[in-house]
Parts: sequence; C-alpha cells; structure tokens
Amino acid sequence: MNDLRIPIGAFFLIAGALLVAMPSARAPLTQAPVNLYAGLVMLVFGGVMVWLARRRS
Amino acid sequence: MSLGRIDYVILSVYFAFVLGIGALMRRRVHTSEDFLTSHRSVPLWITSLAFIAANLGAQEVVGMCASGAKYGLMTAHFYWVGAVPAMLFVGVFMMPFYYGSRARSVPEYLKLRFDEKTRALNAATFAVMTVFSSGISMYALGKLFELVLGWSFTASVLLSAAIVLVYTFLGGLTSAIYNEVLQFFLIVLGFAPLAILAVNKAGGWTGLSSRLPAVMTQTWRHLGDASQNPMGVEVFGMVAGLGFVLSFGYWCTDFLVVQRAMAADSMSAARRTPLIAAFPKMIMPFIVIVPGVAAMALSQMGLGYALPAKPGGGPDYDLALTTLMAQFYPSGILGVGITALMASFMSGMAGNVTAFNTVFTYDLYQSYVHRNAPDRHYLWVGRFATVGGVGLSIATAYLASLFNNIMDLLQLVFSFENAPLFATFLLGMFWKRTTGHGAFTGLLAGTAAAAATHGLTVAEGKGGWIGVVHTFPSTMAQNFWMAIFAWSVCFTVTILLSLASRPKPEEELRGLVYGCTDIPGDHSEPWYRRPGPLALIVGVALAILNAIFW
Repeated sequence: MNDLRIPIGAFFLIAGALLVAMPSARAPLTQAPVNLYAGLVMLVFGGVMVWLARRRS
Repeated sequence: MSLGRIDYVILSVYFAFVLGIGALMRRRVHTSEDFLTSHRSVPLWITSLAFIAANLGAQEVVGMCASGAKYGLMTAHFYWVGAVPAMLFVGVFMMPFYYGSRARSVPEYLKLRFDEKTRALNAATFAVMTVFSSGISMYALGKLFELVLGWSFTASVLLSAAIVLVYTFLGGLTSAIYNEVLQFFLIVLGFAPLAILAVNKAGGWTGLSSRLPAVMTQTWRHLGDASQNPMGVEVFGMVAGLGFVLSFGYWCTDFLVVQRAMAADSMSAARRTPLIAAFPKMIMPFIVIVPGVAAMALSQMGLGYALPAKPGGGPDYDLALTTLMAQFYPSGILGVGITALMASFMSGMAGNVTAFNTVFTYDLYQSYVHRNAPDRHYLWVGRFATVGGVGLSIATAYLASLFNNIMDLLQLVFSFENAPLFATFLLGMFWKRTTGHGAFTGLLAGTAAAAATHGLTVAEGKGGWIGVVHTFPSTMAQNFWMAIFAWSVCFTVTILLSLASRPKPEEELRGLVYGCTDIPGDHSEPWYRRPGPLALIVGVALAILNAIFW
C-alpha cells in the first residue's frame, strides 16, 4: 500500500453509502435526518481522500 | 441502547479495514527497526495525526465528555493549557535531541545522556505502566459496553484485544500508526455530529449558556479562587500544576507520544509533528467536551433527558456520552459512534502496546538479557513482546474487575514517578552540567516528594495516610500540587547532586544537550515549514480561543 489515504477514503465511502441508504431513521431527541447528513459528509470526505491519493500517484 | 444490523455491519467493515491495513503493513517489516521504530519512514501528516490519536483512548473520550458535564468548559484547560503549550515545546526545543541523538526510545536517550541506571529506572517503570494503562483502559471499555449495550465483558475485551494484537503483530509500529490515523478521522466524524446536535437542541451556544451557571461555559473567569469553580483549583495550581509539570511531563517525556514523532522521515518532520498535531488538538474540546456541557443544559429542558444516577446518589457523568448517543443517534450513525468508541480504545491500546514492545525489546531485553544477537532475534522478541503486552493487558483488565482498589493504588504510585520526570529532561537537555547521579537521585527524591505530598494532604477522603497538614478542595487540586512539589524537589536535588558530582565530557554530549549540539538550520525552508513560525501561529490561535471562551 503506497498511500494511506486510499483505505481511509474507501472506509468512509462505504460507511457514508451505508448511512445515506437509510435516511429515514430517527432518534428520540431529533427529527433531523442525521444519517443522511452524516453520510453525505463521509462520502465527500472519503471522495476527497481518494482523489488526493490518485492525484499524487 | 441497542444496535441494529446496519450498526454491526459498520463495526465489521471497520474491523476488516484495520486488519487489512495490518496485513498490508506486514510487507514492510524486515528488521527489528522496521517493526519497532518504523525505520523513521512515516510521512509528516500521518505522524502528526497519530501523535494525538495515540493519546485519544476510550478513557479520554468518555472521560472528557464526563468532565465537561461535571466541570463545564473549564475541562478544555486539559487541552489548551495542559497539552498544546507542551506540544509546542517538545517540537521546537526537545525533538532535535530525541531525533538527533538517534536513540530508539526515550529511555535510551536517558542512557546516552546520563547513565544505565537512569535508563533502567525509566524503562522498567514505563514498561509496567503502559501495560497497566492499557489494561485499565480495556477494563473501562469492557464495563462500559457491558452497561450500555449489554455485551459480555469478556467478549468486548477479548475481541478488541485480539484485533489490536493481530494488526500490531503483523505490521508493528507502522501498522499501529496508520490505523491510528483512520481511528482519528473516525473519532472526529463519529462524535462531531453529536456535539452539533446536542448544542443545537440546547438552543445553540447562546441558549446553552443561558441554561447553565456561567462557570460551566467559561474557562478562566472563575479561577481566581479555588472555591469559585467546581474543579476546586486556582489559577496557579492550574498553570503550574497542569499547564507546566503534568502537561510537559506527559507530552515531552512519555515515549508513547514521542515515539510517533520519532517515526517521522526527517528531523524537520519530527519537529513539526507535534506542531501540526496541535491544530486538531485545539479543536478536540468542541468534539469531546462540549457534548458533556450540552448534556447538563438538556437535562434542565424537560425533554425527558437526564443523566442516570449512580448507585450511591448523584449523576453518573461517565454515561454522558453514551446517553447522548442513545438520544441523538439513530441506527446507522449509532454504529459509527460505537465504532468510534471502539476505535478510540484501540488507538489507545495500540499506542501502549507498541511503546511497551519497543522499550521491552531495546531497553530491557537487549540491554540486560541478550546483548549481541542477530537482528532477526530482536524482531521476534519484539513480536513476542507484543503478544505478551496484550496478554498482560487482558490480565490487568480482569484484575481490575476483581480488585478495583489495587488499580487505583497502582495508578497513584505511577503518578508519583511521572510527576518529577520533566525536571530530569529539562535539566538533561538544557544544562550540560547535569550528571547521571544527579538525575537518578533527583528522580527518586521527586517521587518521594510526590508520595509525601499525597500522604500529608487529603482531598475528597483520599490521601493523608501519614498525617493531615492540609486539605485540598478536590483531588484534582491535590494532584496538581503533588506534581508541583515533586517537580520542584526533583529539579533542586538534581542541580545540587550534579554540582557535587563529575559531569560527562562535552564530546560525549554532542547531539544530546543544548549548547553541545549543532541543530540543523531551517532558513532555506519556506516559513510554513519552519517550527518557529508554525509554533507562533498555534500560539496565536490558542490565545484567541482562550480569549473567546475566557
């Protein structure tokens, strides 16, 4: 493995996709679609990490 | 709190990734130095994040949230006073000697600078301390998961220990460091939503502040007198005890964190490691402490949220983080949060284990058991030390579950030894007249002073086992003052003994002591890659943060 950003990016892409796939889940004290928002942030973060790694290579 | 299928999937994916990184890192391990020191080959951004992640254990995350609920934003002093200034100091002033001396560990630096007995004292206590720290952390996590998720204590402890063991056994320090970076991002992205949701529910920072006493949302205003704040600490105790002795003693001399910087691929990167790490360290209070503060505001809003009570009465602050997660995290992000908790435990444990195996192999085994073996032999000793360290940690966790008071006692004894250590390093690195006899005797005297302070003072029913000459308003104040006395005694005795004994010749101190070492210049580097300007930027940002939350 040459670049740690690839596994980090891959992990957050998977985690983000899993969260985005279940946007309707709600918690007792909030009506916000937490999974959707957090999932999108993780997808962006994961994508940036992979992009940075590929740009370097 | 119960987890859904998606939560277990996320946890499983995380386990697969950390094991995968360990398996990939195995290809890089050919020598004992590859395994135990990463052969000084790790890029700067990775060592920087690992530098703080190794310290970000489960006890830190859960404990800081609990302290946020109990003491309020003053807990941020553990970062803004009790960490960042020391990180700047070690990067700018001390790293040239750690890295430039080519020592493989902090105890080995002590041997080069002073003598064998000083190294032996530091190595032996450090090795035992890391194993116990790891075990106590493991015990805390096992109990937490048992209480919150209903998981078996044994299953939590053995599963997490087995995963840490596999990836550190395969890839050594590099694997631990690489995984710490993944763990760092997971902790940030796993807990940041909780801080945002909890503060937002409390009405934003303004709403939160209006629901709590001012002392809960300010950092300095109530430090004029120990009776004015829930920590029971006054400004001198805070700055001198936490901000100087304890903080510098940990961040500048503890091999667990220093080892991450020493793994950097150049002297310049090693020096910048703690400085770069200081940036995320400054913002960590918003992720781990603010949720605890918000929990206290939420508990007064009639939302049906309250901290559970302890069996003996009073709120159980240790459950602030997990009860908030249960209220704000639906299945999915809950899995990320629980995985982040597991990751924080693993990063702390892996940090302890990789520091233990290096000190055991180089400072104890190679020095006292088998000196001139082939390198392959030390590689395998390092691997066996990893297994042994994890095994001893598990045993400690079970011991803690049987005899909790023994663990408290051991932690106390180790804190006696830790308190004076920074005086030894400060004099050793910056005063060439300091001698081995002075350093060794100073350390013992400082340790005795710490024990005597504890024995002669009492706080919250603790201490006073010799007699009571003073009562502190809190154990925190007692710890800070114990550290101040220990440091002062160590500093004074080391100077006096050094003046009465013969110093090492200057030529033996090259690369080890300020004034005898040519520190590589950095004037050809752009300003943003130089330690001085970086430290200045961190210092200004730190001052602004303190001013905002004064």
